[in-house]
Amino acid sequence: MTASEEFTFVCPSCGESMEVNPAMRDALVENGCVVCGASVTTEAFSPVDTPE
Amino acid sequence: MALEKQTEMTQSDTDALLGRHETGVLSLARDDDPYAIPISYGYDADDRTFYLRLVSTPESEKREFLSSNPDARLVVYEEDEPTYKSVVVTGTLTEISRDEMTVEHVEQYGEAKRPLFEIWGEAKPDLDIKLYELRADTISGRHIELSERHD
Ligand SMILES: [Zn+2]
Repeated sequence: MTASEEFTFVCPSCGESMEVNPAMRDALVENGCVVCGASVTTEAFSPVDTPE
Repeated sequence: MALEKQTEMTQSDTDALLGRHETGVLSLARDDDPYAIPISYGYDADDRTFYLRLVSTPESEKREFLSSNPDARLVVYEEDEPTYKSVVVTGTLTEISRDEMTVEHVEQYGEAKRPLFEIWGEAKPDLDIKLYELRADTISGRHIELSERHD
């Protein structure tokens, strides 16, 4: 189980949602949303296993 | 305007041109129907691969063309009188699905910063953005010097 390493990314600009690992999160913050190109901050990510 | 000189561009010239632009026109063919769309891209010269963003609205005919990995032709050009340069890329288009996205893809798409939303005046969530990889079979560039200038 590696769920604690996973994040849900929701792009504030295009609404795209993806589950990503930490390396992917860092790449998205550095390069922008892969789908639409908009800038992304760490606030766009939340841990997958967050209780409701 | 008369053509004075038309020359083939070298590979390093075409790579440089493709590297300094990030938008082009993609033409797709299905049977005898041509279809052309504006796209933004990032170019990896080492792999001769383009990373494309395509936008379609739900009812657009583009989606039909894209549903069958068509042969594609990408045209990127620049005009700086009296010089006109154009690069034509042919290759195969493959969709990159969201669950096979890698860090490398994210980095490659980071090169294609031009927001497509400027081209499409619609709200972002209403647009269907798809990511494609275009592996080039051929890349050819032409450099044309026009003989007459009117300035
Ligand atoms: Zn986005």
